[in-house]
Amino acid sequence: MSEPHWLTASEASRAFAARQLSPVELLTALLGRIDALDPKLHAFIHLDADAAMEAARTATKEIAAGRIRGPLHGVPVGVKDIIDVAGLPTTGHSKILVNNIAAADAVVIQKLRQAGAIILGKLATHEFAIGGPSFDLPFPPARNPWNPDHHPGGSSSGSGAGVCAGLFPVALGTDTGGSVRNPASVCGIVGVKPTYGLVSRRGVFPLSYTLDHIGPLTRTVADTALMLDAIAGYDPDDPGSAPTQSRHFGRLLDRGVRDLRIGFVRHFHETDTPAHPEVTAALEDVARVLQAEGAEVRSVTLPALTEFAGINRVILCSEAWSIHAPWLRERPGDYGQLARRRLLPGAFMTAGDYVGAQRRRLQLIAAVEDVLRDVDVLLCASSMDPASRLDDPAETSRTYPRQARTPFNVTGHPALAMMAGLASNGLPVSVQFAGRYFDDATVLRVAAAYERATPWHKKRPPIG
Amino acid sequence: MDPIVEALARAAGLHKALADFPDDVAAAAAQALDNAGAVKVPTDPAAEPWPPMRAGVGL
Repeated sequence: MSEPHWLTASEASRAFAARQLSPVELLTALLGRIDALDPKLHAFIHLDADAAMEAARTATKEIAAGRIRGPLHGVPVGVKDIIDVAGLPTTGHSKILVNNIAAADAVVIQKLRQAGAIILGKLATHEFAIGGPSFDLPFPPARNPWNPDHHPGGSSSGSGAGVCAGLFPVALGTDTGGSVRNPASVCGIVGVKPTYGLVSRRGVFPLSYTLDHIGPLTRTVADTALMLDAIAGYDPDDPGSAPTQSRHFGRLLDRGVRDLRIGFVRHFHETDTPAHPEVTAALEDVARVLQAEGAEVRSVTLPALTEFAGINRVILCSEAWSIHAPWLRERPGDYGQLARRRLLPGAFMTAGDYVGAQRRRLQLIAAVEDVLRDVDVLLCASSMDPASRLDDPAETSRTYPRQARTPFNVTGHPALAMMAGLASNGLPVSVQFAGRYFDDATVLRVAAAYERATPWHKKRPPIG
Repeated sequence: MDPIVEALARAAGLHKALADFPDDVAAAAAQALDNAGAVKVPTDPAAEPWPPMRAGVGL
């Protein structure tokens, strides 16, 4: 089989079942690619090659014996380095935790292992999922496979870079203000922040309790559905977990968008935070494609992006301060400068600031819910610009907040970002779809219809 | 440094950060003011925060 590294999880699963490929053969190919490309991309903090190969041998025997656990059986998965994998470091890409070894698997890792997936290693992140890209940390920042001089997005940087470059077909990331969807957007792949409470956060280092989500990064919408099937589910030991029976996230993927009502939030990128012209053009093209596929697309109005962003920052900084205060007091020099500057504001926020933001949050949730009574799915921008250069911190600081992802961390609605074209500089541009609570499957339905109608998911970065 | 910022930082226990990274502390204080000022806090006293207290749920 040529180029097995470009197989999606779904394709690999079919190849395993048809005896065209084994998990050992796939992993061997991926390890070769990692060996060749990761010195340029820095997606990995810790590659667990030996344990992964042992798991691949076991999966190969099980599949050969007909004991197939499901579509992720034998599929390698990369894991953001704030998610615990028993026996491996969870550093948060930080000197603070550089010697920390996880005692147990996070719930999402337990679930992936039950599904037969192979844990390949731990991946680069912004420090504690907030401070990056940075060059003053124990590990280098990941780089964008479309152009390694550019940022791969964050904070799930290694997850985005590795999936994009074909180092592994799927990965886990976390999303507090857009950190799954940003790397998905600028690496030209698919990333979803599921409904809040759908995926257990237990065993994942927290950044902000009421904003944190765990989600997959993949190269296709079908793989996103497979990953959600594996990791979603009620966890009675996660206080935020929802007692829902949501399953079979791919059940609507083939339905198309005929008769769906899609609300286009144009003001996010037209007036709230004016987007790069090529992003604007790509979003209008997405709307045209979905209309041509049979959807009704209409403009809708939500509260302004600045409202969501302000609330996100106050809540995030306040909750993160309560987590990091002991280290910020005793070991401020062990943080990189970006993390230190982004975590310290919590020390200066009052209880009134925090509660006020949470009160306004409920009003914004109500406003989004009102709109989602009239439409099935929202279409809007994700990133307002293609990826910035890594060696241009001023440009990164300017463009990083120019995004429309935080609204759905504030509200908890499911939201997916995916590639919507290539800018003239050869870097991906993106679109975002968001939907009703626990209706993640309809968000994936729209994304799958768009994916089928466009060529973007077949594009590969010019690396390797 | 603004003496109010310095006093708040000391009250928060940030003595080491004040000594070693005074610019970061000052920038953080300014950022906090900007962020808090961007929130339109509801004027209706009945407007509750989210997520709500739900006795017995999630335990």
